[in-house]
Amino acid sequence: MKLYKKEGNIIQILSFPNESVEKGDYLLIEDAEAQKALIAQVIDIQFANIPGVLEELLRSLPDGGGIIQGEDVDPLEIAPHITYIQDSRLLICKIRATVEGEYLSPSSSWLPSRSQSSIQRLPISTLLKLARVDGGLPITLGSTKENSLLTIDASSLDGRLNIITGKKETGKSHLSKLLITSLLQYKAVVVVLDLNGEYAGLGLTSDGKRNAYYNRIHVLTPAQNFKVALKQLHLNVILNILIHALHLPGTSAREFRRIWQFLKEKGNLTLHELGEAIRNWNCNQNVRDALFSRYHALVNSGFFTDNVAEATLLEECLFKAREEGGAIIVNLRNTSPIDRQIVVEYVLGKLVELLTSWRLKAVFLFAEEAHLYLRETYWDDIVTRMRHFGIFTTFITNQPDTIRENIYRQADNIFLFNFTNEHDLEVVSRAARVDAETVKSIARDLPPHHCLVLGKVVRDFPIVVKVRAIDVKTMGETRLFFTGSWAEGASQAFPTVPGSVGENS
Amino acid sequence: MDLTLPQRFIELSLHSLKQVQNQTLQLNQQTIQQNNGNSQETLYAQQLAPPTQPIPLNPKPQPTPIAAVDTSSIKLGETGKGIIIAVRGTTIWKSGKNYAYLRVGPFIFHITEENLREVYNTLFKAYFPEQNPQNSPSFLQIPTRMANLLEKWLQASLAKTMSNSLILFDGSLTAGTADTPTQQLKEILTTARSRGNTVLAFTKVTTLRFNGCLITEAFPAYKPPCLIQVANIKSKPPLALLGEAYVAKLARGNYAFRLDIDREVPPQKRVEAVESLLGNDLIMNGYPETLRLAHIFCTFTANEVIAMQHFIQQKYRLKIIERPDMHRLLFGPFGKGESHNEVV
Repeated sequence: MKLYKKEGNIIQILSFPNESVEKGDYLLIEDAEAQKALIAQVIDIQFANIPGVLEELLRSLPDGGGIIQGEDVDPLEIAPHITYIQDSRLLICKIRATVEGEYLSPSSSWLPSRSQSSIQRLPISTLLKLARVDGGLPITLGSTKENSLLTIDASSLDGRLNIITGKKETGKSHLSKLLITSLLQYKAVVVVLDLNGEYAGLGLTSDGKRNAYYNRIHVLTPAQNFKVALKQLHLNVILNILIHALHLPGTSAREFRRIWQFLKEKGNLTLHELGEAIRNWNCNQNVRDALFSRYHALVNSGFFTDNVAEATLLEECLFKAREEGGAIIVNLRNTSPIDRQIVVEYVLGKLVELLTSWRLKAVFLFAEEAHLYLRETYWDDIVTRMRHFGIFTTFITNQPDTIRENIYRQADNIFLFNFTNEHDLEVVSRAARVDAETVKSIARDLPPHHCLVLGKVVRDFPIVVKVRAIDVKTMGETRLFFTGSWAEGASQAFPTVPGSVGENS
Repeated sequence: MDLTLPQRFIELSLHSLKQVQNQTLQLNQQTIQQNNGNSQETLYAQQLAPPTQPIPLNPKPQPTPIAAVDTSSIKLGETGKGIIIAVRGTTIWKSGKNYAYLRVGPFIFHITEENLREVYNTLFKAYFPEQNPQNSPSFLQIPTRMANLLEKWLQASLAKTMSNSLILFDGSLTAGTADTPTQQLKEILTTARSRGNTVLAFTKVTTLRFNGCLITEAFPAYKPPCLIQVANIKSKPPLALLGEAYVAKLARGNYAFRLDIDREVPPQKRVEAVESLLGNDLIMNGYPETLRLAHIFCTFTANEVIAMQHFIQQKYRLKIIERPDMHRLLFGPFGKGESHNEVV
């Protein structure tokens, strides 16, 4: 390999066919005289602009038809050299750091010698050692393409905002499950807003047996084993539900506050009494109607109960998790959009309440497709205010444009799976911790289950990892029509002969 | 087609390169030129007679094989003792609708003042043992002369192996020059004729003039396809014109070429040969495709030049050096380089 050109922090390296380099690989450009080296990552591979190649290709197709047949008497065997030159490649690399002795710095302010520098591949394992990507709380994400393990430090997720994104069926949920179970090993408290009921099987192995996490997984399904008694609710939480989830106007909210305080003073905070109070409250008829419609929404959600014994206390699960670590899976699979918002408002309100009063230290929140249940104002809340309370969020989405730009800008870690859509890549590339070229170039070619890890977990050295398998029961699978005996029967009724498609058509 | 390898070419190539090991190599600083000695005619004409009427041509579609030859040479760089050159030749056949090629080379030679005469004369004697080289080429002429030698060998091979065909040469049928001895060309033409072949030689650039005007531009009113016979061409000894010269306007557009046809072929047969060419080959811009392909296939591309430099550097451990280009250094963008000056 030879150093060819440098523009900004992009470096171009000429590579020859016998040198095996792929996108995502790291190179060490060592200048022995300067006693420094550059670490650069290959973000694109192009054909080198060899003069005469066009003529070479053109003369092989003189008629615009088939290749002209002939014989080359090449006694000196020059042909392999021609191929060697023709196949030489230009590696477009992004400078990531400078190595001086054992120290890394993000500087790219110097230029190694073009003629004297030696260029070699830098194994990911060596890079990780240099960058000190390890730590005391290891989480093994999977293997790099060199088959070395990529192990990150759980503390690099602590207090951070993370995004897991990629197109459908690339392995996003699998990675989030891996992160959740790994965090559980370190006794972390995890709350999962589970849109499709995918995380309910976290406590079971793939064959349905209990696994090591079984006792630490608490699946709460709203209106089934997750209900709340009005008595357990704080006024602020119910008001947030009414205002943000059910869009109760301000005037009506003020009346509701009075009704709530009236019932609380009387010790009558039940659904029945609340309904009666609204009916008999001395207020404008429109306000009463507004309150009644919200009251019925609350009742119909099935999330609220007057039976305290029936009410599962989120607090209890969280306190239990606080001691030994645990994951509270809020299963929103069969919950309507309005009810989802009610439940999420309740859960987040409760978390803030517990964290503010220091009854909980911190919580790792995993939110799948959060745009489907998170109200507008919560986005900013989560990345700014709630983070200070101790809610460390990981957003998981296959629609990156549903996450606001400011979330990307503040994201500390991004786990990026394959995207082919230009628009999606454009959105993700707005993240502050990554350059657009890397995202666009590498993410487009990621195979399934391979993830480009960006951000603090890898000390800002983007690394592609094949996410390792974990033995947990897969839940929330997509229901299919062509499955089982139907599909088999159909294939027997209409056998396909390889290569016969064209003939029939 | 005689497929015997030009063994002496290989031997001399390898032998000359062995002497170059571990030396320094200065790559050619200017745009590398392709050479083809025959592309420009060497005939000097006397006063031309006024032309007769043009000979109209009717394409004859009866299947006739067509073959063409061309060669190319290039200077790859300079060593402390001499120059490194490469030579390659191509033969193209057209039979029916298909073209096929045989490409011989590249042969790379390290030419020094010491071995120049030896290399050239050995090759000359190897292929034309009954003839004596008239004089050895100069250092500057050697790439062209080596290419000419290879070209003559390819032409002779075609003449011996083809039958009832049209054989296209690049250049004229003027003999008696340093690189085309009269006897050599005569033999090639005789052999070709004896096997029922007709040799047609196309000159891309001519210096022959009629009334002060280039003969290829002198007859704009004549409608193609036609031939215009250029009679009464005189040549100074030892030059000898072995072909009958025509202006060939084979296609529409302002493309006309000087065409030499073997003089010993009867006039009617000459015209028929051109008509066969029209009926059997693709004529683009008035030039036969077979000959165009021969040129294209032997021409060295920049990529191939780099590959050859890579080969000699790797195999003979030549150290490439960059001597400053004095023309560029002194005159900047006005410095056109040594090759430019040499041509001037």
